[in-house]
Amino acid sequence: MTFNLALTGSDLLLLLPEIFLTIWLCVVLSVDFSMRKVSNETLAHLSIGGLLITTFILFWFDQADITGALFKNMYVLDHLAIYFKIMILIATAMVILISIDYVKSFRFFKGEYYFMVVMSAIGMMFMASANDLLSVFVTLEFSTFGFYVLVAYLRDDVRSSEAGLKFFILGVFAAGLLAYGISLVYGETGTLIFPEMASAQGSYGLAIGFILIFAALGFKIGAVPFHSWIPDTYQGAPTPVTAFLSIAPKAAAIAMLIRMFYVGLASFKPMWVLLFVCAAIISMTYGNVVAIAQKNIKRLLAYSGIAQIGTVMVGLAAGTKMGSDAMLFYLLTYLFANIGAFAVIIAVSSAIKSDEIEDYSGLNRRSPFLAAALFLFLLSLAGVPPLAGFIGKLYLFVAAIEEELYTLLIVGLINIVISMYYYLIVVKKMYISEPIDSSPVPVSAPIKAVIYFCVAGTLFLGIYPKAFIDWAAAATLMFSNIAKTTAAAPALTSLVGG
Amino acid sequence: MGEYSLLIILFAPFLGAIGLIFVPRKEELLTRMVAAVSAGICLIASFYIFFAYDTNLAGYQFVQRFPWSEQLGIAFYVGVDGIGGPLVFASAILLFAGVFVSWNIKDRTKEFYIFLLILAAATIGVFMSLDMFFLYFFYEMSVLPMYVLLGMWGSHTKGYLSMTDPEGLKLRDSVGFIFNFGSNSKEYAAMKLVLFLSAGAVIALMGILLIYHFSGLHTFDIVALKEQTGIQENSPLAILIWLLVFIGFASIAPIWPLHSWSPVGHAAAPAATSMLHAGVLMKLGHFSIIRVAYEILPETTREWIWIAAVLCVFSIIYGGLVSYFAKDTKYIIGYSSSSHMGYIFLGMAALDYISLTGAVIYMFAHALATSMLFAMAGWVYDQTHSRDIPSLGGLMQKMPFISGAFIVGCMASIGMPGTVNFIAEIMIIVGSWDKYPFQVVVAVLGIVLTLAYMFKMMRGLFYGELSPEHAHARDATTFVDRMPLILLIFCSVSLGLFPGHFYEVVRSTVEPMLDRINHVAPVVSQVTQSTQGLLP
Repeated sequence: MTFNLALTGSDLLLLLPEIFLTIWLCVVLSVDFSMRKVSNETLAHLSIGGLLITTFILFWFDQADITGALFKNMYVLDHLAIYFKIMILIATAMVILISIDYVKSFRFFKGEYYFMVVMSAIGMMFMASANDLLSVFVTLEFSTFGFYVLVAYLRDDVRSSEAGLKFFILGVFAAGLLAYGISLVYGETGTLIFPEMASAQGSYGLAIGFILIFAALGFKIGAVPFHSWIPDTYQGAPTPVTAFLSIAPKAAAIAMLIRMFYVGLASFKPMWVLLFVCAAIISMTYGNVVAIAQKNIKRLLAYSGIAQIGTVMVGLAAGTKMGSDAMLFYLLTYLFANIGAFAVIIAVSSAIKSDEIEDYSGLNRRSPFLAAALFLFLLSLAGVPPLAGFIGKLYLFVAAIEEELYTLLIVGLINIVISMYYYLIVVKKMYISEPIDSSPVPVSAPIKAVIYFCVAGTLFLGIYPKAFIDWAAAATLMFSNIAKTTAAAPALTSLVGG
Repeated sequence: MGEYSLLIILFAPFLGAIGLIFVPRKEELLTRMVAAVSAGICLIASFYIFFAYDTNLAGYQFVQRFPWSEQLGIAFYVGVDGIGGPLVFASAILLFAGVFVSWNIKDRTKEFYIFLLILAAATIGVFMSLDMFFLYFFYEMSVLPMYVLLGMWGSHTKGYLSMTDPEGLKLRDSVGFIFNFGSNSKEYAAMKLVLFLSAGAVIALMGILLIYHFSGLHTFDIVALKEQTGIQENSPLAILIWLLVFIGFASIAPIWPLHSWSPVGHAAAPAATSMLHAGVLMKLGHFSIIRVAYEILPETTREWIWIAAVLCVFSIIYGGLVSYFAKDTKYIIGYSSSSHMGYIFLGMAALDYISLTGAVIYMFAHALATSMLFAMAGWVYDQTHSRDIPSLGGLMQKMPFISGAFIVGCMASIGMPGTVNFIAEIMIIVGSWDKYPFQVVVAVLGIVLTLAYMFKMMRGLFYGELSPEHAHARDATTFVDRMPLILLIFCSVSLGLFPGHFYEVVRSTVEPMLDRINHVAPVVSQVTQSTQGLLP
């Protein structure tokens, strides 16, 4: 295969968001190096400015319907990619905002922090566009590279170093699995590009290859049984990085999974539906049950994140357009609730220097604003109306029942009740227990802005989700005619649905 | 104006809650005024719909419909029939009374009223939803504020299993509470309530999603599903859905053996919350069963509603006996509510129009009577810091007004002629006699039992020796203190003496509904239908 790298102007236009952000990032980095007096805030605001401009470019692409494929279909910019890119950019901007105060506690490399964050974001933007297995590999490693550094950023903290090491070793292991899986798939099909794989014949090599690739992506999204790095890494990493890690790479990896399975493996749908049904059931149940025993709020959110990703996989298990719409929408609700929750945690831990749930006692008396915000975010994660998480979960379950996946539906509904318990434990500490130390908890302006934005998002998506549901549905129009499971393999469906 | 009244009823408390967020924390009077005004608007508008409901027209009235999501087939669709209308009215009365009953709450007043208004608005939302999605939406939304209300402003129960935990205040480690039946803290009660109700809710949601899928209409619209269900009645699928809906919603009602969260929750809750909880929250169960199961699967209901008739016997007797032996005032009232819910189930199960009308009237009547009792038990607790009957007594000397009102509340609860409870009870008993004579005998025995424990409680609280530690107890003297009780007594007595319009409102809805349920399709037409289906 030969590459024609003579790019035209219109080709470059498709890469504009990434190119622009890279150039902007270099400018920010040179500002940091060349001007000695430049403050931490200025760098953060500059980075956010770049991210926002990129977001607007992407909105313009979405509205003007500027889409297409590059490099022999290795890179696509369609509405699905635009949706995920915008989500990643918004998440990154919020993460930078909640980092501003946190970064001050670093002893060195304050400027590089923002560089690393935005660099990972660019990697994840490429992930959302990856349309063949080689670009999957390259973009995945590209984005994870920044995280290896970010997780271990608190150099003098043992936990952070431990978190970094764990994340690195398992990340590299996952990369190995991914490379091996890709080689198997290439050997069986003779192609790396997803749409061309659709006509491939089934074989054991192909199945093993894809299971390995799924395992590698499972590491990224933290699905059981590939979750073991999640709790320690979440606890040890700097909290803004945890917030970033808890949503952006997951969203990007879900984009990859959707593309890989919906486009590349559409003809093997009954097989991967079974895979995702099992993965979703195990992740939801394991995450929720283990979360009950947690005493540290970051670990609690880590396990709840495992459960949430299990819930997202309900959409993949449904394997229909409705399933992908629901996943897209759910990730958006998850973004607001999760980043909001981490913003509250950062505000609290900067005041009380602790992440233990016990120390959240009486938060309502110390800061009614933070307590109310965390209350909303946790309930949105639990899926209580009128908050966004409820609509997201309902949408996923409706998608599942349309495919008659009853087992999955029952397990998912039971898990809502289980998750309610441990989220309410935190609510109980905040609202019912009395504070040990009743000094007020201050909130800095950028964190306040993020919390307000996330509260608005959580409520708006819950009360009037129509606009966003329509947007998600428009982003996945290309899956309109994906095969119904029931038609493809009745025997397997009855096994799954029984 | 009139056609928007449901939106006013629903959004007045919500807007009140939102408005309260912006009221400064120190302005306690302003906080209470905002809550009172929004509850007042809600009450006036619901008064209007109750009396403006056209009984000749019947059906769903004051209907408003706004598309919400085409992808999921959801519309914000509200309207009331002769069952929802009175219950909306009852909720508004209780909210208004509850705002005044909690006038003396000093701790975090702002949060209290915000959660109280959200709780009431969500409850009202269920009673007016004509879309299953929104029915569930408001149902689940009404559960969560209960957790905070119970936990923050509730009280620990002393009488509950006091033999295992004489301290009465010992808080257990929260993990593993499920196995910790001896615990009697308010946290335990709150958590138990939320988990029970959420579990019930997801069971019902399962049924709702099955209806959504198998109806083939891809809509949650109850009116559309009523026209054309698309599910073969009495098929295994229909029975499964019916059971899911019934069990899910009956857990909030609560029917025996799913009741155990309810008395504990009542006992732990602050007065206004118990009022709303016992008064209207529990009726969400009956109402939702009627709205979903009776309307969408009428024939399956006819074949399977006997389950309610069987379980209601246990509810009535078990609740009554526990009340008789309990020593905690709120616990007695809580179990008596749980017992009285059995009457509603009996009325519903008989599928006779007199008994079902009676059941609906009973929902309303019980809301007034029980909330009166809870308000006064709360008053007594505020004054004496005790709910333990043996430690109380002789309060008549200190609080004559409360004692008098309490006696009226007890009489209403027993079903004394002159109160609306009497009409309801007599209709349930007369209407169910043909079908379930045994249950009717039990229900009459239950009334005797109610009489016994109500008198016992009255004697224990108000007569006998006054304990010296309660010498400082104060009667309800101000307008604010008396107004809610007078309002509740007034509603109960005036509707008891002039039930004409109320009866017509309920009947206009119940009759066509029962016609659908009791209508047995001629065998011949069924055969032709099935052969038509077989032929190409």
